[in-house]
Amino acid sequence: MSVSECEMADRKSAAVMESLMLVAPVTALEFLEEEYLLAGEGPILSVYSLQTLLINCTSLSVLQNQRIHGIHLDPWQQERGATAAAPKEEELFVSPWQQSGRVRSVVLAVFGGKAVRVVGLKETGCGGPSLEALGPVIELQDWVCDVRWLRARAPLLAVALAHNAVLLLEAGKGWSLALCSCQEGCLLYSALLLGQRWDDMVIVGGTVFNQLVIWRPGEVGEDGRDRIEGLQMEVGRTAQVEKRLSGHSGVIFSLAYLPKHGWLASASDDRSVRLWGVGALGGVAGCGVPAPPCLRVLYGHQARVFSVRLSPGRVFSAGEDGACLQWGWDSGRVERSLKGHIAGGVRALALSGGGRAVEVACDWGGRRRDQALEGMQVHLRAGRGKVHSVLWAGQDGVRAYLLASGTAGQVFRWLLEGALYSCGRDGCVRELRVGAGDRLEVLRVERACRGMEWVERVLILDPEEGGEEQGTGEGCQMVVLGFQSVFFVVWDPVRRERLLSVPCGGGHRSWSYCPPSGPHRAGGALVFVKQGAVLATQVPQDPQGAVSWGLKVGLHGRGMGCVCRLGWVGPAGQGERWEILAAGGEDTSLSVLALQPLSGALRVLSVITDHISSVRALAVGLRGKMRIDGQKHGCSQTDGHTVTSLSSLLISAGGRAQLQCYRLLVGWGSQLSSPFCQVIQVASHRLDEQWERRRNRHKIVKMDPETRYMSLAVLHDGPEWILLAVGCSDGAVRVFSVSEVDGSFQLLWESFYHQRCVLSVAPCCLKDPQSNRKLFMFSGATDGRVAVWDMSTITAWRASPTAAPTWNGTCSPCLTFTVHQSGVNSLAVWEGHGDGQTGWMTVASGGDDGQLSVVNIRVQFHQQLVEGSTMCVELQSQSTVLLAHAAPLTALRHLGPSLLVSASPDQRVCLWSLCSSAPHHHSPGPHQQGPASASMAPPHISRTPPLTSMALPYTSRACSSHTWPTQRAWRCGLGLGVKAEPG
Amino acid sequence: MSIDKVISDIRICRSLWENMGRSSKDKRDIYYRLAKEEGWRARSAFKLLQLDEEFNLFKGVRRAVDLCAAPGSWSQVLSRKLRGTEENSEDVKIVAVDLQAMAPLPGVTQIQGDITKITTAQEIIKHFEGQPADLVVCDGAPDVTGLHDVDEYIQAQLLLAALNITTHVLKPGGTFVAKIFRGKDVTLLYSQLKVFFSGVTCAKPRSSRNSSIEAFVVCENYSPPEGYIPNMSNPLLDHSYDVDFNQLEGPNRIIVPFLACGDLSAFDSDRTYPLQLDPSKEYRYTPPIQPPIRPPYQQACHLRKNNLLSKEDSPTVSFGGAFSALHLSANQESDTAAAAAAAAPQLDSCEMNEEEAAEQEVQ
Ligand SMILES: C[S@@+](CC[C@H](N)C(=O)[O-])C[C@H]1O[C@@H](n2cnc3c(N)ncnc32)[C@H](O)[C@@H]1O
Repeated sequence: MSVSECEMADRKSAAVMESLMLVAPVTALEFLEEEYLLAGEGPILSVYSLQTLLINCTSLSVLQNQRIHGIHLDPWQQERGATAAAPKEEELFVSPWQQSGRVRSVVLAVFGGKAVRVVGLKETGCGGPSLEALGPVIELQDWVCDVRWLRARAPLLAVALAHNAVLLLEAGKGWSLALCSCQEGCLLYSALLLGQRWDDMVIVGGTVFNQLVIWRPGEVGEDGRDRIEGLQMEVGRTAQVEKRLSGHSGVIFSLAYLPKHGWLASASDDRSVRLWGVGALGGVAGCGVPAPPCLRVLYGHQARVFSVRLSPGRVFSAGEDGACLQWGWDSGRVERSLKGHIAGGVRALALSGGGRAVEVACDWGGRRRDQALEGMQVHLRAGRGKVHSVLWAGQDGVRAYLLASGTAGQVFRWLLEGALYSCGRDGCVRELRVGAGDRLEVLRVERACRGMEWVERVLILDPEEGGEEQGTGEGCQMVVLGFQSVFFVVWDPVRRERLLSVPCGGGHRSWSYCPPSGPHRAGGALVFVKQGAVLATQVPQDPQGAVSWGLKVGLHGRGMGCVCRLGWVGPAGQGERWEILAAGGEDTSLSVLALQPLSGALRVLSVITDHISSVRALAVGLRGKMRIDGQKHGCSQTDGHTVTSLSSLLISAGGRAQLQCYRLLVGWGSQLSSPFCQVIQVASHRLDEQWERRRNRHKIVKMDPETRYMSLAVLHDGPEWILLAVGCSDGAVRVFSVSEVDGSFQLLWESFYHQRCVLSVAPCCLKDPQSNRKLFMFSGATDGRVAVWDMSTITAWRASPTAAPTWNGTCSPCLTFTVHQSGVNSLAVWEGHGDGQTGWMTVASGGDDGQLSVVNIRVQFHQQLVEGSTMCVELQSQSTVLLAHAAPLTALRHLGPSLLVSASPDQRVCLWSLCSSAPHHHSPGPHQQGPASASMAPPHISRTPPLTSMALPYTSRACSSHTWPTQRAWRCGLGLGVKAEPG
Repeated sequence: MSIDKVISDIRICRSLWENMGRSSKDKRDIYYRLAKEEGWRARSAFKLLQLDEEFNLFKGVRRAVDLCAAPGSWSQVLSRKLRGTEENSEDVKIVAVDLQAMAPLPGVTQIQGDITKITTAQEIIKHFEGQPADLVVCDGAPDVTGLHDVDEYIQAQLLLAALNITTHVLKPGGTFVAKIFRGKDVTLLYSQLKVFFSGVTCAKPRSSRNSSIEAFVVCENYSPPEGYIPNMSNPLLDHSYDVDFNQLEGPNRIIVPFLACGDLSAFDSDRTYPLQLDPSKEYRYTPPIQPPIRPPYQQACHLRKNNLLSKEDSPTVSFGGAFSALHLSANQESDTAAAAAAAAPQLDSCEMNEEEAAEQEVQ
């Protein structure tokens, strides 16, 4: 290797990746009076205005690599400012705002993980609020369960730590002043601090062993005050548990206290919420009444309860089942149930204004604001006899539909897009369009929501008026109306949410629905016939009434397993264009996302729910002819122009051996300046379809394995068909063809060579001396072995109408080698420069053992057959970085001639530069091959947990080593991150 | 048709019945199935067995602690391996600790308690006063909540609590094996363990899924720093990054060697196998050996099964004048196309099914 190369490598290793955008779940929420909503999304604190349609006003990354778990307003700020003011003991309500001139501000303590930080929110006369860190990130030794502002002259915080201890912290500088541990040394899952002063505060701890323990960290002593003022650290003091509350049979996840009534609520792993009559806690009252009774045991959740809040007369709880329940304190019954996003569960909950409004935040950033929704039913008697039909009249929305008839139900024509929707009692919604010769073509058949067997109608709601300027416009919204057992349901297929559910008694009845209108999506009503009477359920029009506002779109609730980039649409300017991604998740859905990295905007363009098990792998075909006439969609990514449409073939694979293929047409509406997407189902395949078709299948035990497809790679992207390599959990590598013309997948080839779960597949193409293309496929399994297959003849292969539609080319790999101790999680293969008789391939692999390995493979082409083959494939050199990551290396991509990027659940994304990846500068000879070695560039932390996949723009494949366009890596896992490596 | 044939047909039908539904986990998880067939209470047994294959964990071991032991498959392995068939199994001592109750096992002393709690730790220590343990194992894991940072933190705390107990009971030169999540702060745990053991390896048995971040630290040769006095009341806290999370080297970026354990010919836990593993042997469903004794959600499940979970009451029917202003007559509006669009299908469904609907409501 030459010196200059080394230097180059060094220079590149100094490259720094910067994080462009992060979409993370909401894990903390707090109201700032009735004006703002504060939310913690990963390490980022976001402020939403409650007055103006919940627009995101400002955000600030506050906790570096910790996730925000709580936000607390400083109620004593005013008092502290007014130096000499004597504290008024009785005053209960204090405004957190501090006014000075025209500037209003509040101080917040934000905590999560092992960190606390003080942040200021400032509102100047003009413009929106701004956030500013008022101190450094205070890193503590232990996990923080709760914090509380203390009423003192200095900004003091009491911090409850997970080892059942309380720390007194000077918030400005981050000095620890005192630490008091409980004699009951144990681990807390949750804690609640109460009281205003260190000396008389009380902590309630939710332990691992199902008990609540109550104790006082700062016993009253004469020197108490001096100690605090004197700023001396005191440690080693311990205190006794004063009260124990037992009854739960699982760990305690959340606690809440209502001072007015002296109620304490606890939420647990045992799926119950318990209410305790503890009396007054904190201050002179100490640890409350002697033997606190358990007043209520509330069972209603279908899974763990993560969060609980109290308001006078009501209990709100939210949990893993995605439901937020409102309980009546007196009745002990569920008064209302708000169903959020099903997958993932609700993590955070906040109440404002004495409990009139409920804020529900979801794991996935889906968030709704519901104000005590009191659906009103109105009873009208229209006459004596049977009522046959009712309908709303004079509604604007109705204008958009045109009845086209149909046997399965109704067909409406939506004039805007030219697409037709039909629905029926099979629970499916069909999207059609008028194709050539005025024939109707079915573009897509979609199941509505689970259990919704009877779909009555599809409504297209007009785009929100004026929404666009304010940045929330989501274009047109489609809703599906139908019956689910005895309920009439309005379903939002993109957000996967029930918008309305009315127990009308089930199908077969006459009904009419009036969709909500106006900027708040308020109003809307259902009229139906039940037992000869007309009943109406109305959602109050008044925006102060029943409103559910989506603040943020939710992404895959249980984590994203795979992501890939399709391209971009919009104006060519860096800041304005929309990157289009597809993502698949464990919640079995696929989504098409548009995001604008610079503005941070994210839109879900479409959600596809055809998979019956989790979606694990995605691939994209860019070529291929469109079957649809009349429209020309193309990918014209020329700089300086607006790309108005994008068309690509998306293939997804997942559990239960299922493959799906879609044609995605992503357009860009210049009036709305936002992208939209049309999905056309092309083909679908399941290995066990034969079995599924057997009529008596419920009587026999299925003997086939329930194969999961683990990975997917495009081997050949031809004009007529795409060849796909699939790594399968049953130990096979399979090759399928998918053709848009036939609308089907075809299994062409399979090999059980690995005999172990195949985790990764990758292609590589070389040219032999005669300029014939040689196609290689690489597959890696859980035993750390990689197999190389010569697939060259498969592209030319055509099924003869008589023979079985299988290709029987290769039956054993042309080379195998072991690179890892356990699973080969990710493979990246690229071609090196060869000369005539010799070709080179470089294989980089990332393993479960945390290792990064780079292998060079030499392909020697022969003039004639040597040992039955015209080429000889051999391993030339191998180099590894043993401990590249502290955890499994889950994703690896080749960014350019000598740059690799890797990701791992140790939450680091690393860039690697290869000092000499392909020996193209050397004359090929066995001794001169410098081994490819990898050197490390400063790794970059990703703040989202488990990274499972990464996708890169295609441009990076083609770029040269000197003119680097901006590289972007998309990471996913729980959340989505975008990293850029500036040129 | 002979009576035997009928009986055998009935038997086949019955076994098919029994196999339905329950076999799906057998298909998805080969080790789950093997555990049942070999009489282990949990599939985790294979993890300990495969770790032993690589590290010879039980050689010369007479006294062992099994932390976080329920339902008890590791205790089963310890019991079988240490006691064996020898007569002198009296000097073998196995103490198993868990939050959950566990069905008894021969030669295993049980303690029900939280290992992060001092009192539990003291109870364990009492068993080994004067006679230190040769081996401490801990397979503790939190009930995964899905919030990765919380799960990883709790997991780390279980490991540190186990380490703290270990410093009290393990003999110098002894071995400590614990489950670890290979997550964000795993290097900090490695550096903590390195203080007490001269050999620390991160091992992944083949029966642990490739897709899971779970692995095991095998810490050999217990050799605490000179003058180290175990202290129960001050829990071992996590190490912290003293400079920067991003830092690549230094004491807190310790990555220990990785070792995949278990024979390569062993079953692959990520692979899906057909139910019929051996063509000569018919698949039979085996019921689980030892379901959890009292899971936290027991009561909730009981209520759910009996439809006793609290549900939202249906909205109250109240009469208000609010709707009187609306025109609800179908006839009035039916002349417009829009109205027709909405009305026609309703009529359709009404006529057909008014009676059916009435029936439905009765039910
Ligand atoms: C994966 S299981 C152990 C399985 C066991 N090794 C076997 O082979 O059967 C994890 C166990 O850790 C226990 N556990 C979790 N937290 C604990 C704690 N703080 N103290 C004691 N046990 C705990 C759980 O009750 C659970 O039974």
